[in-house]
Amino acid sequence: MTARWLRVAAGAAMACIAAANASADEPAPGALLYDKHCLSCHQADGGGVPNMQPAIAGGTWVKGDARALALFVMSGGFDSASRKDSDVGNVMPPFRELPDADLAAILSYIRQKFGDGGSPVSAADVAAARASLAAPVS
Amino acid sequence: MRNAWLVRVVSIAALGCIAVAGGAAFAADNDGLTLPEGFSAIVVHEGQGTARHLDVAANGDIYVAGRNGLSAMRDTNRDGRPEVVTSFGDVKGTEVRLFKNWLYVSDDVGVYRYALKKGQLGPNGQRETVVGGFPQERQHSDKTFALDTKGTLYVNVGAPSNSCQEKDRQEGSLGQNPCPILEKYGGVWVFDGTKLNQTPANGRRFATGMRNAVAIEWNAKQNALFAVIHGRDSIDTLFPALYNAEDNATRQAEEFHPIVDGGDYGWPYTFFDTKLGKRVLAPEYGGDKTKEPEAGKYPDPLVAFPAHWAPNDLLFYSGKSFPAKYRDGAFIAFHGSWNRAPEPQAGYKVVFQPMKNGKPSGPYEVFADGFAGDMKDNSPRNAQYRPVGLAVGPDGSLFVSDSQKGRVWRISYRKK
Repeated sequence: MTARWLRVAAGAAMACIAAANASADEPAPGALLYDKHCLSCHQADGGGVPNMQPAIAGGTWVKGDARALALFVMSGGFDSASRKDSDVGNVMPPFRELPDADLAAILSYIRQKFGDGGSPVSAADVAAARASLAAPVS
Repeated sequence: MRNAWLVRVVSIAALGCIAVAGGAAFAADNDGLTLPEGFSAIVVHEGQGTARHLDVAANGDIYVAGRNGLSAMRDTNRDGRPEVVTSFGDVKGTEVRLFKNWLYVSDDVGVYRYALKKGQLGPNGQRETVVGGFPQERQHSDKTFALDTKGTLYVNVGAPSNSCQEKDRQEGSLGQNPCPILEKYGGVWVFDGTKLNQTPANGRRFATGMRNAVAIEWNAKQNALFAVIHGRDSIDTLFPALYNAEDNATRQAEEFHPIVDGGDYGWPYTFFDTKLGKRVLAPEYGGDKTKEPEAGKYPDPLVAFPAHWAPNDLLFYSGKSFPAKYRDGAFIAFHGSWNRAPEPQAGYKVVFQPMKNGKPSGPYEVFADGFAGDMKDNSPRNAQYRPVGLAVGPDGSLFVSDSQKGRVWRISYRKK
């Protein structure tokens, strides 16, 4: 009985270690891309920098419609009348140069991490948003 | 025996408490700040909201510019903390300077002044506009300024741009050449500070090639203007083939210069690379990491401070109460970085640069540190305090203001 319990406990412990390793070894696909393209402004915790860049964590963009988010990130913060009175100084450049798959990975990551576990964004969603962009890539 | 020892320990502890209580103004631990031997700090005030710059009058009255507006404070019972604190005016901004019987202040679009009356803490009369009508910009819009002894007004007009790219902050976008932003921004404009109702067109571009010289100061003893300039961001994300995140976190100096009439300090075409110890062409303008601009075209800084520390105020120490080595040297308040991420943030301290005859006379030293605290998640948002403004009081104490909570400290020498 005791031996069996020990075996079970040991098994559980091993599973626990394996799970910990798995999560440590396999960052979300979009995490590295977020670090590369987004982190310096929006920071590791998605909290932004007061007066400089807005927080994305918990905000409406990451919790809302996936295609609208894709369109916004590809359009950037420039020339956006609704953001004129924003209290942050810096505007986001348009990230439309990134491939659909990379954008989908980033957006899935920020929705999951900063948007209360929001649903993933597919490359097809990004492609659809891209098609609706007013201006072609220059 | 043992009990007697205990009584002695308790008594000593109690005496210690009384000693601290007796000098109530002085926090036992300098409010968590680390200071050089012999210095102590007290919290003067907190509660007026995000502070920017501050100035202290000859009678000890304190004037603070903040995001919520202007405040005046008076310590009537001389315990180090003001009993009278008033808000006034409608200027929400950065700079505040006492000049003769005037209080000069600024926001993003103008420089203004209020008349002061002897013995009266608040302003005596309405706000007057000295220069109005600077364009409202989103980046680098704080109009910090300096006044010389005659009332000449030097206004920092920051460039609303990182590096004057054709497409601001977009990967690989090249720089505009010549950079059109420099016609109206990215330098110091000079005005007659005693005249009213001027517009930017009444000013003259005094110096150029300065991305954002928030820390600008007139040095009366040297009869010269000085500034510490915020360097550029994002060399890694904009030009990933040339620079990595560590390069971005460490290379682009915050440059300390004497600012001369007609001077050009190299933005956006160049930056001073702290790793190479020389000025290089910016990647937007043909830089390949080592290529230098034409020899002698732009001056090297007096001091190249570490990247992104964000120099937000400069003060030449004119007080008498600090030890001799501090006389005529420069204190610089570094607001601290956001743009070193993912590398650890840095700055968030007050630095002392020894100076002699307007030139550095030794390496800079950290003067006051410990403002930021643990700074969870490496985020500036979580900094406990961020030093942003400096002033000297009539007794030679150094005043420091904070932008996170609006805390104001007084740092004194041998006052405990």
